Amino acid sequence: MSGVKKEMVHLLANYGHVGFTFATSIVIGFAGGVLLDQKVFDGKTAPWFTFIGLAFGIAAGYKTLLDVIRVAQADEKRQAREEQDRHER
Amino acid sequence: MEHPILFISVVLQKLGLPVPHGAVGSNFIEQICAPYMTYTWFVMAFLFFVIKVTIGDLELIPGRGQNFWEVVVGSMDDFFAENMGRELADRYFPMIATFALFITVANLIGLIPGFMSPTASLNTTLALTLIVWITHHAIGFKKHGIGYLKQFAGPIPLLIPLMLPIEVISNLARIISLSVRLFGNIMAKETLLSILFLLAGGFFAPLPILLLGVLVSVVQAMVFVLLTVVYFSQAAEQAH
Repeated sequence: MSGVKKEMVHLLANYGHVGFTFATSIVIGFAGGVLLDQKVFDGKTAPWFTFIGLAFGIAAGYKTLLDVIRVAQADEKRQAREEQDRHER
Repeated sequence: MEHPILFISVVLQKLGLPVPHGAVGSNFIEQICAPYMTYTWFVMAFLFFVIKVTIGDLELIPGRGQNFWEVVVGSMDDFFAENMGRELADRYFPMIATFALFITVANLIGLIPGFMSPTASLNTTLALTLIVWITHHAIGFKKHGIGYLKQFAGPIPLLIPLMLPIEVISNLARIISLSVRLFGNIMAKETLLSILFLLAGGFFAPLPILLLGVLVSVVQAMVFVLLTVVYFSQAAEQAH
């Protein structure tokens, strides 16, 4: 594989999942809230746990974004270090 | 949706075995004869025999077949070691490399008429994902002991009630996003191909999608493997 194509596949692999993971986090938080409201408390607490779950889901979505940034930064740092090592040699 | 002709199902029907008409069968034998199961076995047998035939006996001066597999395995090994360290890569190489080969072949096989991608069924991808998910937690507990749970508590003790649900949700999201992404991409490819083939197969309408299908198959297999590697290395590294 040529350099550009390889880089594109690598980028797709690194960032292609961001949107999906974000949406999934929100759905899981929301579903958990609805489950607590309807099944555990029989609808007595009706909208509250849904909203709390939704908030946690959105927060979890942003957390996955931060994780992606953290991994990318670690990659960058490692590459910079390798470059420096090569220069020093 | 009506399945296109799947030759293993046809052979099984000729042999008198029940092939389910829906996605999964009603009893045990029907479930085993479901297309995604039979094609999973087909891919497993394909990988096993093709590697056995092309490599044969390992030689010091590699022939053509052995050369090819040395390049494939060598580049995968480099890739894993680069992303999660030599120690982890050595220990989990057999598992992740098997996943990579299996998913790539399983994705690509759906492009040939008469075959179906086993990964176009959520059962297959969910099984693969659950193995990865459980393994990455097992790695974490093995490495850090019970202190691995601290990874879910966040940096400040005061924020535990806030951070714990967030971490748990984002961890559970891994199962769904990993499995549904692979399943969705491959199923979309299969469905689009069969529809285009039925509508305008004579005018080579599926041809551009076939080209895209190759790209999607390889990229999705790579995404799965890369995320597996990232999860493993995150579980093994010190709690942040």
